[in-house]
Amino acid sequence: MLTEASVNLLQTYRSGLNSYDEILDVKGRVKPHWQALFATLEKLGIDELKTRNQEIIDKLRENGVTYNVYDGVDGLNRPWQLDPIPFLIEQKEWNTIAKGLQQRALLLDLILRDIYGPRNLVRDAIIPAELVFDNVGFSRPCADLIMPVPNQLVLYAADMARGPDGQMWIVDNRTQAPSGSGYTLENRVVMSKLLPELADGMYVSKLSPFFNNIQSTVLRLSGKTKEAPNIVYLTPGPNNESYFEHAYLASYLGYTLAQGDDLLVRDGYVWLKSIEGLQRVDVIIRRIDDDWCDPLELREDSRLGVPGLLHAIRKGNVKVLNPPGTSVLENHAFLAFMHNICRYFLGEDLIMPSVATWWCGQPKELNFVLNNIDKLIIKKANRKSKFRSVYGRLLTPKDKEDLKKALMQRPHEYIAQEEVSLSTTPSLVDGLIEPRYAAIRAFLVSDEKGYHVMQGGLTRSSPVKDRFVISNQHGGLSKDTWIVSDKTDQPQEKIILPVTPSYKKQVSVPSRSAENLFWVGRYCERTMAVTKFMNIVINVLNIDRNFGGSSKQEHIKILLQSLTHLSSTYPGFLGDENQELLQKPYIEIIKLASDVYRPGTIASNVSSFLHAVSAVRNQWDIEIWRIVDLIENSFHEIRNAATMNSSNIQKTLDKLYNSMLTFLGVMSETMPRDNSYLLLDTGKIIERILSKLSIIQSNFGVKNEANVENELIEATLLNHHLLVNYRQIYKSQLSVEAMLDMVLLEKTLPYSIVYLLDSLKANLESLPGTSGERMNEAQKAVLKASTLIKLASVQELSQYDPVTLEREELFKLMSEVSGLISSVSMALTNMYFSHTIMQHSFFKPIENDEI
Amino acid sequence: MKYKLTHLTEYRYVEPVSTYHSLVCLTPRTLPKQLCQDFTMEVTPTPAEIEERVDYYGNTTHYFSLHSPHKKLTVKTTSIVECLTETTGAPIRSDVTCAEARSRFMNDRSLKVSLLEYLLPSPLIKWDPAIIHFAEDCFQDDRPLYECVNALSRKIFTEFDFVPDFTTIHTPIREVLAAKKGVCQDFSHLAIACIRSFGFAARYVSGYLETLPPPGKQKLQGSDASHAWISVFIPDYGWCDFDPTNNVVPGERHIITAWGRDYSDVPPLKGIIFSSGKHTLSVEVDVIPMD
Repeated sequence: MLTEASVNLLQTYRSGLNSYDEILDVKGRVKPHWQALFATLEKLGIDELKTRNQEIIDKLRENGVTYNVYDGVDGLNRPWQLDPIPFLIEQKEWNTIAKGLQQRALLLDLILRDIYGPRNLVRDAIIPAELVFDNVGFSRPCADLIMPVPNQLVLYAADMARGPDGQMWIVDNRTQAPSGSGYTLENRVVMSKLLPELADGMYVSKLSPFFNNIQSTVLRLSGKTKEAPNIVYLTPGPNNESYFEHAYLASYLGYTLAQGDDLLVRDGYVWLKSIEGLQRVDVIIRRIDDDWCDPLELREDSRLGVPGLLHAIRKGNVKVLNPPGTSVLENHAFLAFMHNICRYFLGEDLIMPSVATWWCGQPKELNFVLNNIDKLIIKKANRKSKFRSVYGRLLTPKDKEDLKKALMQRPHEYIAQEEVSLSTTPSLVDGLIEPRYAAIRAFLVSDEKGYHVMQGGLTRSSPVKDRFVISNQHGGLSKDTWIVSDKTDQPQEKIILPVTPSYKKQVSVPSRSAENLFWVGRYCERTMAVTKFMNIVINVLNIDRNFGGSSKQEHIKILLQSLTHLSSTYPGFLGDENQELLQKPYIEIIKLASDVYRPGTIASNVSSFLHAVSAVRNQWDIEIWRIVDLIENSFHEIRNAATMNSSNIQKTLDKLYNSMLTFLGVMSETMPRDNSYLLLDTGKIIERILSKLSIIQSNFGVKNEANVENELIEATLLNHHLLVNYRQIYKSQLSVEAMLDMVLLEKTLPYSIVYLLDSLKANLESLPGTSGERMNEAQKAVLKASTLIKLASVQELSQYDPVTLEREELFKLMSEVSGLISSVSMALTNMYFSHTIMQHSFFKPIENDEI
Repeated sequence: MKYKLTHLTEYRYVEPVSTYHSLVCLTPRTLPKQLCQDFTMEVTPTPAEIEERVDYYGNTTHYFSLHSPHKKLTVKTTSIVECLTETTGAPIRSDVTCAEARSRFMNDRSLKVSLLEYLLPSPLIKWDPAIIHFAEDCFQDDRPLYECVNALSRKIFTEFDFVPDFTTIHTPIREVLAAKKGVCQDFSHLAIACIRSFGFAARYVSGYLETLPPPGKQKLQGSDASHAWISVFIPDYGWCDFDPTNNVVPGERHIITAWGRDYSDVPPLKGIIFSSGKHTLSVEVDVIPMD
């Protein structure tokens, strides 16, 4: 049944408008492309749109698209929000906007070079001296990094909104490390996958030329023509709000994602610490702010930057985009002077206006601001100030007086902006199409001719009605932005992934990523080992409970204690109160599954696993993110101890185990067999050997009565995925000797120790720096372990002391091999991951406003 | 007067330091009153390169880095500096009053452009009512600015005790003011805060001072120290140095290495180390007359 609302979506929407809206032109007519879009939406129906919206939400979550909100209620990793209704701008209008943006970028580049150069703007009184010297972005150590040639500003983003005159206005500039282009790309990818028919009847401009332009500009700046340049995408790390984007863009553009301490400056060059050794870096695209780039010359407490980086830039040995020092342009006061600057430098008017801005450092302007405070938004000129923007009209009389006093005391620190009413645009809110205020971020990159403008952008709409809040930090909806025209004969946009130059065979693996990959493998296997064995123990408990196995409890005790050994969650079932725990084992078992704060538990291992996975998120493709999403779901389930009991815990365990197994499966099916894979696989094998040895040792270290031992043999074989094999060979004859022969020595069984040691040996041989004529420490340890196992005699291992019942040989061998394999892990850490040394400065940071 | 300056800095580390990056600002400036005839810098262990650069303020800095583990680092600089004797030795006379100076800074655009960064707060120098109150009786609108700064310098000298190790370079100025003790950096920062709070331009000067042994005593080796004082812009005259620590007008015994807005612009030696342990530091400075 059609409701009235869905009969005519457009009319309903129009009737709800109370300010000017994107769908209307200046004469109040619906713009043709919006008309077309609404017609398509109509055809689709609001219910279908809601369904697609849910699909979009799911897809974004599956793809791991996040925007981390600091101090958010639900912690980090907030899913990115995308409105299924795009924002449309007609190509003709966009062409004018693009010209305005290009002019703006050109001007900012001129300002940048002037401020760090002759400072004619100040000398000729075009801008007040405060805009330079009272500008926290004016960085004296960076003064000689900005070269007196065009395009110092390589990447630029502008925030725009439509003013009441129907024109687009520039509201803000992002000049040091602009964010958002990656989210824009992901929005487009998701939209074209889940709502392809929305573009029916129109042509949507492509985004890919923008990214191709970045690549060619970076290539040009690298100065490399014959060999492949080494390009690094520098991120502050996984805790940064837009880490998703850093990883996403790095892998899209084919650059190495690195953190500050993956890099070092030596002999005037920047080097990437990779497991292949030091690699010279030609270009760094940075996503860390100016101040944090170099602790030697900028913020001394920065752990995000690279000591000596400014020195390397000055020597011309590395290009950093944008060069440190560009935050000088982000001072809000520039907006007040752009018109004059434009006339001064270019002898022409601004093509696109800025939002009306007054710098209070001038008496006339200050007066105006004081008298019109109700219509204005007051901000500090310096963006880094903790002062939040204030809407004059929202102030209490007392706060208003206080603000006025502050303005009069330090007028040059403040600016005021007109509170313009911005345009609204259709948004899907709670299943209805409603008008919401919106602003667009546009992206530019310098090219050989000047600046290239992305044909699209990141539109953000306000989550609340009648108020304009666009910061992602405060939670906003994003929209795909379509530059549309009638050229319907043109094909729909397809994302064309840039072709990676074939002469570069392998992207370097920074040591930190290498370490994380290694631990992804280890934690994955560790989780699976504990989960699997816990499941085996629970099965035994169930049989005992259901079939009146009250006769002998000894095997249960041993298995439970093995579980404690395996997970290193001492004292556990080995503690003083173990009698009590053994009587009611589920209390401890549920804790072992769910307590995320107790090291060794399943939950804590999954948590470490997820942490390691997200620290190298650029390594994974979409397939893998989907599995990670499943694992995350299981993680939430397993943490919820309150809902778990003896009868349902296995369901949760199975789910987790299966998703982890799928992770390993997808990994081994899809990952290229490069060093990344080798490290992950090596971590997995090391963990697998250690856990298997632990179970053998704790189950059979001491001889037990035959019926107890039979239960233990069965459990161990199950743990090695070998019970079926065993039965095929030995039928129902359970013997320790036969079992040991199988789990230790059978070369064809992928879970036997000998097989695992051989795989480990092969991996170590393939890793870099280990193929020389001498064996490294890790290889020696594996050789020794492998030899010990291969020379062992299962008869001797099964022997036990008639008095103490201890199987001394077995115990010794298991301990020795475990020790050797643990030392492999240490050796790998020393060879490839040595990051453990902390960075210190002799000089403490200066950040506070203390007097 | 001609001096030989040696400045020896020694770091000892408990744990080996694997990587070290350093920026040194110890080269005497060449100025109308002072000529740096020679400068050498020895670093042990020897770095692959020492890179010289002139910074934003015209100070000479040196960058070097070390990449092999070491437990001891020494940086020794030696300079020969000739200080030219003042023509008269008579104190500077300037009658520009505080009121006039202030209005000149505000209304003379080119003056303001060149001085603004020394008029505004800087990373280590900010002020509050207590600081303004402290200096209030020194600055009167109708008195010459030069005299007022001198009065402030004298006031700090009289009311404050020179106490090493009470403060670090991060002790806030208001704590120095409350405790009435500190060292030359503290007194200079306080003086600059006072001067800027009244609307005048002041900068931080880093350098050396030749100390004289007590009468009849032999001068001890390493007894000199790096020193800090201030420079104030007096209209029609120019930058004019004051030493609030000693209440003297710096003359030929003061040797200038660098200036900036405050200490953070010109630390003599700063570095980033990669190590897990602690370090100890010793500094020995000698200013030896050569005539």
